[in-house]
Amino acid sequence: MTAYAAPPAIPAGRIELVHLRYRTVLTARWRVLWIAAIFAAVALAALVRIAWLGFAGDAPRRTSLADALLPPRGEITDRNGVPLARAFPAYALWFNPAAMGDSGSPLVRSPAEVARALVRIFPDMNEARLAERLASGRSGYLRRRLLPEEANEVFRLGEIALEIPRETDRHYPQGTLGAHILGYVVEDEGGKIGMEQVLEARLEDPVLRSQPVALSIDVRVQGALEDELRKGMLATNAIGAAGIVLDVDTGEIMAMASLPEFDPNTAGASGPENVFNRVTNGVYELGSTFKPITIAAAIDAGVVRDLSKTWDATPVQVGRRTLKDLKPKGAGLNVPQALVYSSNTVTARVADELGAERLRRTLIDLGMDQRPFIELPARGKPIFPKGNWARITNMTVSYGHGLAVTPLHLASAYAAMVNGGIWRPSTLMKLAPKDVPRGRRVFKESTSSRMRQMLRMISMYGTGRSANAPGYRIGGKTGSAEKASGGGYAKTSLVSTFAAAFPLDRPRYVVVAVIDEPRGTAASSYQRTAAWTAAPVVGKLVPRIGPMLGVLPDESRDVDISDLRYLVEGRK
Amino acid sequence: MTIHVTGSGMRSLGWAAVLAVCIGLVAALSVRVHAIKSEVLLAERQIIALKRETLLLETEFETRASQRQLVHWNAVEFGYAAPRADQFLETERQLASLGQPMGPDAPAQIRLARADTAGDEGAGDARRQDAAMVSPLSGEKVTLASAKAEADAGAMFADAFGDFLIEASPIRPARAQTPAMRVQAAAAMQGAGE
Repeated sequence: MTAYAAPPAIPAGRIELVHLRYRTVLTARWRVLWIAAIFAAVALAALVRIAWLGFAGDAPRRTSLADALLPPRGEITDRNGVPLARAFPAYALWFNPAAMGDSGSPLVRSPAEVARALVRIFPDMNEARLAERLASGRSGYLRRRLLPEEANEVFRLGEIALEIPRETDRHYPQGTLGAHILGYVVEDEGGKIGMEQVLEARLEDPVLRSQPVALSIDVRVQGALEDELRKGMLATNAIGAAGIVLDVDTGEIMAMASLPEFDPNTAGASGPENVFNRVTNGVYELGSTFKPITIAAAIDAGVVRDLSKTWDATPVQVGRRTLKDLKPKGAGLNVPQALVYSSNTVTARVADELGAERLRRTLIDLGMDQRPFIELPARGKPIFPKGNWARITNMTVSYGHGLAVTPLHLASAYAAMVNGGIWRPSTLMKLAPKDVPRGRRVFKESTSSRMRQMLRMISMYGTGRSANAPGYRIGGKTGSAEKASGGGYAKTSLVSTFAAAFPLDRPRYVVVAVIDEPRGTAASSYQRTAAWTAAPVVGKLVPRIGPMLGVLPDESRDVDISDLRYLVEGRK
Repeated sequence: MTIHVTGSGMRSLGWAAVLAVCIGLVAALSVRVHAIKSEVLLAERQIIALKRETLLLETEFETRASQRQLVHWNAVEFGYAAPRADQFLETERQLASLGQPMGPDAPAQIRLARADTAGDEGAGDARRQDAAMVSPLSGEKVTLASAKAEADAGAMFADAFGDFLIEASPIRPARAQTPAMRVQAAAAMQGAGE
């Protein structure tokens, strides 16, 4: 065999080299792949992180700030944003025997010493009872409300078991002001009476409660109304008083007060007294204040066309009853005189001619047969004569007897009478101009104009003179009715009312003041009737609230009464 | 060949270093982000605390200045009454209506006028005022007390600042008031009292 060593086509060394090269390239590719994979993973992680930050990371943080500042119950403000009820951070004193975390005594010092130290801070607490309480080892409130400085002093005692948890409390910065409008809050039960109850769902709603709710009332007007009513009530030694200031064009209640009042800050804990709201819940026979409504209905129906016509003013005999004037002014009176001198007989005769059905219709149009239109839960049901009215019913209702309504009914009716004849439901919520209800027409514009003249004349020449604040063009009607008691009337207990509007040349507000059971005192010249009790309240109130409500006094303006002036006492 | 492998190894080492630097930067950045986040959290807590305090103080203010309290203060201290109708003026026309019409023999109204000479403004005014201030007897310039005070504003400030420094300094001079002066002061007080 010839050993022919042919050189191999591919030398073994070269194969080795190719193999090596192949492996090296493979390793390099793997490495590149790994690095690319790591980069991709890092990039992916960064992207995921960015996405997480962008979508999830920040969101809970932002809500936490909003959450922390979200009040547990929404704020109630007046129409200008002054807070009337708000959640207020307060301190409580809580005894936690487990705070020390061991089986020893919960207190560092003896219970008696701690009790003594606490009584030094809170002198009204009972030391013996407190020591007993601390020794018993039961956890619980020692005191519900602490002032911040008291909390600091308790903290300084160094007792770990005396905890000062922060709780939010419902606080009414204005105290008793507007108590009947606001109501109060009972812990774990919610709002009671007033807007706290009405707005319960809105105030507790987590979405809406960060926004305060604006009521229609103006705190300054409310303050002035309560102050003047309180003075009037105390001056006449009355058992109560009520007042309302109503916007005639929108039905918004600018102020509403019922005295005596309660303090909503303490009412929740101790249970309130005086929760009875005389404005919306108390029904009264409001007496002569109804005469202008009867006259307006008669003018509207065309029964009274000639205001100079003299009506018979002698006592009216209906069946067995005789209707008389309190202070007869002669045998015959015209309609303006009847209002100025407050004549029952002429009003009754006008109503008789008008007819029961038409007077009844007007009063129903004024909403007097239903509970008053207002958000509050406390709404009194009027005593409205049922069925077809007898002749005597018609006559007595015409001057405000035999029909009991709330002062709010009267205010709404007066607003309709002076604003051009449109009745609107009253509200305690602040209304934007677009939300003002259209209302319904009860009187003609011309009737309203006549009534403005005659109301002004009553406060210029008649029983409302003590309410005639110079420059404010006030006009209104007094009413003094005996309170119904048993089957008849209590001769000694009156309800004195003054219902007024100002400025009458362009009416903006109706003011009603009611004094419940005034006594004749030196301050009221020993009189109990409205001219001496309720009307002066309005006379002092209007100059205080007028400029705040945008009504500036002006003695160069007034209602034009030149065509009626000569009808009363022959004035020229 | 070995050199080639070493070069590749160097390159991957370089990549690894770059990666390490990047990771280090990312870590540093994320630490910084966390630091800022916790600062933001702290700031938020401060905001919450301050807002709560504002609420507390505002509510306290509202409570102390409640309508009833204001009425009470007014009754005891101030005695303000509602303004009367004649205290309001709505228009210029109303304001003008308060003036008296000129009668036939009314004294002539006093009118004030001033003639400005041309090119004599600003500094000229001051010069003219200075020129006007001469003594009627001697014809010498007179410096008003008010003008003096104005001129010495720098000196006054220096005095006041010196006083302030003395007040603020922890080293206090002994009471410079002599007993005699104190007696005088007491006498002056008594005199004022009587």
